[in-house]
Amino acid sequence: MSDLEVQAELATQAARSGQPRRLGLAEATAGLLAVFLLVAAVTPQLLALGDPLGIDPLSAFMPPTGAHVFGTDESGRDIFTRVVHGTQYSLVIGAAATAIGLGLGIVLGTLAGMLGRVVDFTVNRFLEVLFAFPGLLLALLFIVIFGPGVATATIAVGLSTAPGYARIIRAQLITVRSAAFVEAATVLGRTRWQILLRHILPNTLAPLLVLATLGIGQAIVWAATLSYLGLGAEPPTAEWGAMLSAGRTYITSAWWMSFFPGLFIVLTAVTATVLGRSIDRRMRHA
Amino acid sequence: MRRPARPRRLLAATTGIVALGLLLAGCTPAGPNEPAGEPRSGGTLTYASGDAEPSCLDPHVGGNFPQALVSAQYLESLVSRNDAGQIIPWLAESWTPSDDGLTWDFTLRADVTFTDGTAFDAAAVQANIAHLQNPTTLSSTGYLALGKVKTVAAVSPTVVRFTLTEPDSALLESLSQPWLAMESPAALERSQDENCASPVGTGPFIVQSWVKQNAITLVRNDDYVSPPADAAHAGPAYLEEVIWRFIPDSASRYAALQSGEVDVIDNAQPDTIVQAKQSDSIEQLDSPRPGAANRIELNSGQAPFNDVRVREAFIRSANVDDAVSSLFQGTATRSYSALSSVEGTAISNAALFDYDPAAAAELLDAAGWNETDADGYRAKDGVRLSVEFPVSTNQSIPAEQSVFEQIQATAKETGFEVNLAPMDLSSWYAALASNDYDAVSAPYTKVGPDVLRILYHSDSIVPAPSGYFANLAQVNDPEIDALLTTAARTTDTDERSSLYADAQNRILEGFYLLPLYDQQNHFLLRGDVQGLRTLPTVAVPTLYDTWLNR
Repeated sequence: MSDLEVQAELATQAARSGQPRRLGLAEATAGLLAVFLLVAAVTPQLLALGDPLGIDPLSAFMPPTGAHVFGTDESGRDIFTRVVHGTQYSLVIGAAATAIGLGLGIVLGTLAGMLGRVVDFTVNRFLEVLFAFPGLLLALLFIVIFGPGVATATIAVGLSTAPGYARIIRAQLITVRSAAFVEAATVLGRTRWQILLRHILPNTLAPLLVLATLGIGQAIVWAATLSYLGLGAEPPTAEWGAMLSAGRTYITSAWWMSFFPGLFIVLTAVTATVLGRSIDRRMRHA
Repeated sequence: MRRPARPRRLLAATTGIVALGLLLAGCTPAGPNEPAGEPRSGGTLTYASGDAEPSCLDPHVGGNFPQALVSAQYLESLVSRNDAGQIIPWLAESWTPSDDGLTWDFTLRADVTFTDGTAFDAAAVQANIAHLQNPTTLSSTGYLALGKVKTVAAVSPTVVRFTLTEPDSALLESLSQPWLAMESPAALERSQDENCASPVGTGPFIVQSWVKQNAITLVRNDDYVSPPADAAHAGPAYLEEVIWRFIPDSASRYAALQSGEVDVIDNAQPDTIVQAKQSDSIEQLDSPRPGAANRIELNSGQAPFNDVRVREAFIRSANVDDAVSSLFQGTATRSYSALSSVEGTAISNAALFDYDPAAAAELLDAAGWNETDADGYRAKDGVRLSVEFPVSTNQSIPAEQSVFEQIQATAKETGFEVNLAPMDLSSWYAALASNDYDAVSAPYTKVGPDVLRILYHSDSIVPAPSGYFANLAQVNDPEIDALLTTAARTTDTDERSSLYADAQNRILEGFYLLPLYDQQNHFLLRGDVQGLRTLPTVAVPTLYDTWLNR
């Protein structure tokens, strides 16, 4: 990078800076929860020894007690064990769906932002058509065509979030493209590819980390929604949405069956949001 | 079964019917409530069904239980059945079979008209049977029940003659069902779509409107004259209007009942029945369905269940007793029979269905499924012992789906991989039609033991015009066929029962099915709903005698 380029880029970044903050209580809690969720996802056996699918009909519908801290479900399965083991599904679905959505979004957004007016126009109209459908409806449509299941639910959620990412990436690309340091690079005779890879993409993708973190929270909620509707993970899989759905039947007599999976969906989504915001703030201050 | 013809004239017999009806209502468990004074006319009753919303309100088309539930309010059959299991007059006053059992003359009531003004007569009966037997109607239940009816002819306006290809001991039982109810021939001539939206019958209510995904509105037929012989009163119904809603979610359905938004719900979940027992404002009515018990059919037409040892191993490895007692909390009793406990001819054999994983393991070893794969399932020649089990979420209450999950868990211990696939009704029919199942639970309701012929005779592997075939276990055993065919021709009651007993024993010993419990049919109702009962034919509720004490 030439001095001119570096100076221009630094100047752009300096314009966004302010005072960095210290770690708040919310961020600390979210961090701890994130660690707990990651451990639960990677090695659930560390937190809950039992079999999430193991039935014990004679101890069905037990309210939360010492032996079963979150109670048991209609077949006597331990809900704590199921919630811990379910983390894996939710996090994997959430991360994979976000990756799919973001990946598609980057391709579409870059095409639109970089390849001139005709491509930009085409991609934009296509995105507008997709925007005409609420995201969840798009996901439902996909599942109707390809059948329910964890894989289809993941792809469906990913696809339905892609248009949003594509829009943001395109907007970001266009902003960065007209920044002073890009003009400088152009003046210095860099090729289009060099400029894209060395200047534009790095400056566009950094904000995407924030978007992705926030997106995981949303994707987890959507995936749980699909399972709740019976279109994602199939019972008796220990997936939070499916557990919530199974508990719904017994909500008047066994509240714990739906309360704890619901609590974890909320906690995970909030954790992702708090962390996303926090990364956002830090990056602005960096 | 030959029955003495019972000539009956309405006017002369009305007092008798009313007296008999009141007596029945007072001393049978059919009515859950104590009589609360004189029945009062008027009011709107809201019924919330947990069954799937029918796609057609004419039960001739297809012919499933959700259709029967609602059509019993506006359509009537030639005969009915009383609590003792005897066939009683309804639209037909009397009937006489010929000595060879091949000709049946039905004498019809002369004073009945359809609610569109068309007269109910022999020609109308003829048109209805023709409609049911016409392949373009796509009838399944009615079509199968009329398998032996060759011709129907009008002898006079009030006498109709059925000519059969061979004697049919189940003819009256078949004709008593809501799926073979009488509809206005003028209405049947309309397009099928029109007739599906507003079928016209002779019943106590009239279909006024149907807003799909929401509700069917039924209004009182003020000219009604034709209650079955066991009804509690004569003349028009008490209720002015019935709103027939569909609330598939059981918790919402119960909440709507608790709040008084609806007056009657069906398909009550075990946990809500237990709760309702403690409530002063909610009563219950339990009326197990006749015909087949709820059971899991094992598809003997393809691997792995084409081997009787594997079928027995599956049955021995499923712990049904614990599942039923934990999930149904005392509201259902375990069945060991192919037939419902309300059928007098049912044979029960508990010893065949003991939970015995050790015996199951030996059977699988003997059948060659003696490898164990990486996931702990049994395998043979590298193929895993998998059981595809499509579940119709419309036809199984959540507690039943949990029973399947528990069977999945206990069968896994023996090495079966059970793949439960919950799906909507149309996907489920598609899975069955493409033979894409190894185990399946399909309710089948028919009056009387002839249901065995429909479920286990090899003829029923051939699909009906609707595409549905009822022999889902794909039982293809000449000896069973012979027993069922003979029983269906045998009119002597004892001989018939003994043939059905032999057939049932052979079916049960062939491990084609795993019985669970009677088809559950629990209704919960507001305490001020009086006189609700179910028709003893197929245990659908009738709102004819129902009134609101408010």
